[in-house]
Amino acid sequence: MATRTRLTRSQQLQQTILYPLDWLEERSGIVGGVKYFLFRKVPGDINWFQTLGSATLTAFLVQALTGSILAMYYKPDAKDAYSSIQNITNHVFAGWLVRGMHRWGASVFIILMFMHMGRVFLFGAYKYPRELNWIIGVLLLAMGLGEGFTGYLLPWDQTAYWATVVGININGTAPFLGPFIAQFLQGGTYINADTLSRFYAIHMLMIPGAIFALIGLHLYLVVRLGVTSPPWSKEAAGTGPLAGPAQNGRARVGMTRPAPRRTGR
Amino acid sequence: MQPNHDDHPHVPGPSLWPVGFAIGIVVLLVGLVVNPWYVGGLGAIIALVFAFLWIRDLTVGTPLAHAPDVPPESPTGPALPANVGEAAMPPVEPGERFPRSKFLELSTIGLGGVIGGLVSVPPLGFMVLPAFLHQGDKPHDLGPLTNFPLNKYVVATFMLDAQQGEVSRRTAFVRYNGDLNGQPSFTIISNHCAHLGCPVQPNGPLDQAHTKHFSDVTLIPTISIAGFGCPCHGGQYDTEGNRVAGPPVRALDRYSYFIKNGHLMLGKPFSVSSVVNTGAQAIIHKWNFSFPGEHVNGIEGWLYPIQPPH
Amino acid sequence: MATDRLVERRRVFQQYKEDVKERGKPFFPYAMWHDTIMSLVVVVTIIALAIVWKYTTPGNHHTTAPGWLGKLYDAPADPGTINFVPRPDWYFYFLFYLLRIFKWPETVVLGTIGIPTICLVLLLAMPFIDVRAERRLLRRPVALVAAFLVVVSMGVLTYKGATAKEALGSELLAHVPKWAKTEGFANNPKATAGAKLFAVSGCLNCHSYNGDGGHNLGAPDLTGEGSKNRGIQFQIAHLKCPACVHPGSPMPSFAGLGQQRLEELATFLESSKGKKK
Repeated sequence: MATRTRLTRSQQLQQTILYPLDWLEERSGIVGGVKYFLFRKVPGDINWFQTLGSATLTAFLVQALTGSILAMYYKPDAKDAYSSIQNITNHVFAGWLVRGMHRWGASVFIILMFMHMGRVFLFGAYKYPRELNWIIGVLLLAMGLGEGFTGYLLPWDQTAYWATVVGININGTAPFLGPFIAQFLQGGTYINADTLSRFYAIHMLMIPGAIFALIGLHLYLVVRLGVTSPPWSKEAAGTGPLAGPAQNGRARVGMTRPAPRRTGR
Repeated sequence: MQPNHDDHPHVPGPSLWPVGFAIGIVVLLVGLVVNPWYVGGLGAIIALVFAFLWIRDLTVGTPLAHAPDVPPESPTGPALPANVGEAAMPPVEPGERFPRSKFLELSTIGLGGVIGGLVSVPPLGFMVLPAFLHQGDKPHDLGPLTNFPLNKYVVATFMLDAQQGEVSRRTAFVRYNGDLNGQPSFTIISNHCAHLGCPVQPNGPLDQAHTKHFSDVTLIPTISIAGFGCPCHGGQYDTEGNRVAGPPVRALDRYSYFIKNGHLMLGKPFSVSSVVNTGAQAIIHKWNFSFPGEHVNGIEGWLYPIQPPH
Repeated sequence: MATDRLVERRRVFQQYKEDVKERGKPFFPYAMWHDTIMSLVVVVTIIALAIVWKYTTPGNHHTTAPGWLGKLYDAPADPGTINFVPRPDWYFYFLFYLLRIFKWPETVVLGTIGIPTICLVLLLAMPFIDVRAERRLLRRPVALVAAFLVVVSMGVLTYKGATAKEALGSELLAHVPKWAKTEGFANNPKATAGAKLFAVSGCLNCHSYNGDGGHNLGAPDLTGEGSKNRGIQFQIAHLKCPACVHPGSPMPSFAGLGQQRLEELATFLESSKGKKK
């Protein structure tokens, strides 16, 4: 057996940290995955506007966390909902903070979603090959608005109740299927005790499940397809100081300039 | 026999059976809501018949025409090793219609479908159907007839279902119109606006001092009202509930009623397209109860041909 | 040709991938640094909003009175109320105001379902509508104009939804003292009683008065009705039968209020000389 050389302190420390990571990596591959995600290359000239996507994700995670915690004190029953909200807002330690974060986090989440969508649109980042990502994003927008609608009923105060009455009836005006959609949402001919439970289940479980799945897909596509440079970027246009040589005798084109048209077509 | 691997996947030929199957499913689903036994049963039968025809179509015509490449086994030949697979399977006997692999493929998918159906259909039914079954409320006692002054609207607030509690609280505008053919005539108008369901207000002062109570019913007489107005989007109605201005798509809904032991009993609600004349002489154009925002007559009435059971 | 375009854009994408691999920077820490700063801003904003919401609520911070950011909660839900004007959450105001624009019964389904569905379908189909590879903004005039119009119209609709007012009887009743002061009839008990009747009888559903009420239904503004000096008898006759005085008037009759109340209303109208300068 070869004699082992004496390791320095810092090398010993490194080994202690690396050992469990290597253990995990050998058995699952997850460390490699995280490393790939963290150290993948992105264009050098990306812009502050492109932080809106991750900001939206942060807002959603705030919502998920505060929402799950609020669920520990909120009572989804028509008789108790209002008093549980009063309890959370006025008595429970930091309840006002968690509830306030959830309520205003919703507004921030929706504003950021619209801003992110606008940024993607103006950057042309929905074009080939990112069309699927755009579609997933629009579905996420629709579901975020659905979360806002279903969550609005939960405090069971006057605003909540009547805004929901109008919202359900708006759905009811859809041709042919409208009355069925409205009655399904209400859980009956009128808003009744079941309505709150349905909205709670949709708000807590069904839509968030779908949102988590779609966000996962959305992020996977971002990593797979890469992040674009801003449209004004010289890098992306294939010009600029770092542009490489022309290829195959044709001028270098990047992601912003369409290729020159062939003559005669 | 060679395993059934073509160069391109085996795509079934064009066929009408799937269309029939889809129609059967649609009739079944509509029937579950409208009339479970007859219409739903009819849909189930149609779906089963076309499903049988479709599956039969799929399994007929798998390419068995070419003879297998394997030399025919003699019945007393050496036993095949267990791991040799499709190529060493005994040739197709006369009477067998498709190879074992095909059967396994189809039955795996089929059984998977059955499992999926077993797991999802009853819970889906649980999610969707209860909203449409056993709807409708019992008649509600609004109190003695003496509580309703002649030709004055009374704002009546009551709970449709005492067990559900506050969530079933409703308001209606009740007016005693005098007698018609010896029977007391009432106009009972719901306070949900016919546009999108906002609470409608009486356009006139209330006489709070003469509020009466009867069990869970609160009755506040009005002094005089010139109609009803909805604050949400500006809908206006006259004293019979007809739409006068604004976006409401029909007149205000009304409740039917009957008299029992000198008490006014509130019955089922129904929708109204318009009312001609006033008070006891009113001719009310009744329609099935519809949600706010749904036209009941005219061209746009055709947008809402079927109402769910209310 | 279509396949040429397909081949070309695949080539461009490949080139992009190579460029990024060659000359890009690692996501961590360069891009993630920006993301983290932005996320911090978001979280701090959310917490700040929560604090302001709670601590600007008057009455020891737990009443139903509104603070700077609105109410903590309203009164408990009352399905039998006749005294409430629903509002959705602010990010639905643009849809809410759309409903007010489509105020004819035949067009209701356009505002509730038609336009929102069309917009959603357009959004989903965007990558298939715009198939050009061009991404520079100045070379995408349609996209730029469309984005600008959408942002402006949603902004305007949201603003108008936020400032939309209704004639809710109980809220208007609270305005009577203000009217009395501005119009100068505070010392006239009959006029004040008439003002209260005016507030709850739905007059402001169609008329406007002192900035309140409906402005777009064709009924005249009554802030300065008294300055026309038509006299109390005229007002009473008109209230009893508006169509007799102004043929074709859609205003309903208020004769049921009785002589005393009609006099109070008439006095109020005649005392409304218009805003004092």
